[in-house]
Amino acid sequence: MNGPGHKFALAFFGGVIVAWLALMFVLVRKAALPPEANGIMLAVFDPSISEAAAVTAIAAAGGNVVKQSGLAFAWVVQSDEQGLAGRMRAKGAIGVYRELPISPALMGCLAVVDAKVDNVLTQ
Amino acid sequence: MNSIAPPTPWYFQPTTILIAGCIVAIINFGIRSTFGLFTLPFSEAFHWPRETYSFALALQNLVWGVATPVAGMLADRFGSARVLMAGAAIYALGVLGMNYSTTGAMLDLTAGIMVGIGIALSSFSIVMAALGRLVPPEKRSWAFGIATASGSMGQALFIWPVGQTISVYGWNTGLTALAIAALFIIPLAAPLLIQNTSKSVQAQGETALPMLQAITQAFSHPSYLLLVAGFFVCGFQLAFITVHFPPYLAEHGIPKEITWIAMLSIGLFNVVGSYVSGMIGRREDKRLPLAAIYFLRAAVYTVFILVPISTTSTLLFAAAIGFLWLSTIPLTMGLVTVMFGTRYMATLYGFVFLSHQIGSFLGVELAGIMHDKYGSYDPVWWMSVGLGLFAGLINLPIRERRAMAFATP
Repeated sequence: MNGPGHKFALAFFGGVIVAWLALMFVLVRKAALPPEANGIMLAVFDPSISEAAAVTAIAAAGGNVVKQSGLAFAWVVQSDEQGLAGRMRAKGAIGVYRELPISPALMGCLAVVDAKVDNVLTQ
Repeated sequence: MNSIAPPTPWYFQPTTILIAGCIVAIINFGIRSTFGLFTLPFSEAFHWPRETYSFALALQNLVWGVATPVAGMLADRFGSARVLMAGAAIYALGVLGMNYSTTGAMLDLTAGIMVGIGIALSSFSIVMAALGRLVPPEKRSWAFGIATASGSMGQALFIWPVGQTISVYGWNTGLTALAIAALFIIPLAAPLLIQNTSKSVQAQGETALPMLQAITQAFSHPSYLLLVAGFFVCGFQLAFITVHFPPYLAEHGIPKEITWIAMLSIGLFNVVGSYVSGMIGRREDKRLPLAAIYFLRAAVYTVFILVPISTTSTLLFAAAIGFLWLSTIPLTMGLVTVMFGTRYMATLYGFVFLSHQIGSFLGVELAGIMHDKYGSYDPVWWMSVGLGLFAGLINLPIRERRAMAFATP
């Protein structure tokens, strides 16, 4: 067996990661919430937002902070009032998603890319 | 009259076989790494105590360990491809059956016994046995390394999309998706059927011993017993970290988010470590790097428990232990091959792996018992250090040459 070596390994693992990212983006898109949604959700802001500005926006939308993701632009928020997702968007969130069980910080990174792409496509 | 051999079809080309084998490893390891995500949904849906689901998973690990040597025997007898295919079907049925398990006993049957058997029959050790026979000796360790790294990658990557699928579509759909993923192993195993065709010429220099005699001879070979004992420690150390590291970090005030990143780091550094270990294993000497891994683990554990626990120390520990995580496998598999050849590789590695699983079981159980008794994981950390030193030392006298009974004239 000749040929396969480090280049093969790099190409193989690179391919796996590309396929994984594609699958993740499909699932993140499916997790996007409609404006009328309420409950626990992941709100994603523009990455340039400050922590204070994000908290102000969440409060203005009538949401409560459930937990910080560790990133200033991704927050797990909650409200039982109908339409939290829509209000979050109105107050500056660029995307609102179902609460994802694994690491909101890492999910926030994927979600912010998804939200930006979605905003560009829908404008 | 000269005859020209027909070209080997693309699906039997070494590169195809390697890619297919690595994807099988990703799927097999990936699926099993996600079962923790179903603990809460099952417990909430059926109002079970956590113990009910945990017991099924503990049973799964035990069945996986016991079934691995049997899977190895079947693979050595009937070829890896057929065993992988049968294993994939059982794996899929077991995972799908979890959807219909409304009692603890049913869950023990599906998640515990069926999935345990399925994992063993479709595991990457069966893939590696096939690769060991199909690739030339100089590429063998590299192939073991990339297959192990693939399994590690599956562990790291599957958990995210499955977590999202559960969140978006519900846990029943998550299990159905996993069952479908398991079925993908069947076509992916097909290229390994080359082992059972006329092309699979038994390599020269392989033992002529029948299987049972080969097993008996292996267990009377001191170096094999040392390898088996060392791998017990590997299982103990890794299972302790897998299950008890997150609660240990929580007890020391490390945020959950950092714990997730630490566990992900273990998975990703594990990919690099497994691959590098495969590269190192290409050299003649495998026992010294293997002993070094155990000594290094002991050193990493020692430093981690002696320095104050912080985000930095947690992430550095995760990276270091991740690098050393499954890096024992290519070298251990390589040593089995050196001592006994490739004919009974799956069987003899299967027994080594059984020792690993017994170590895993004890690592999890003992840590729980010690924690309940002393209110701290510290005694188990120090036990892991001691066991690491022990494993390093007992790997040193291993003789890296063909066992007498397996030598061919």
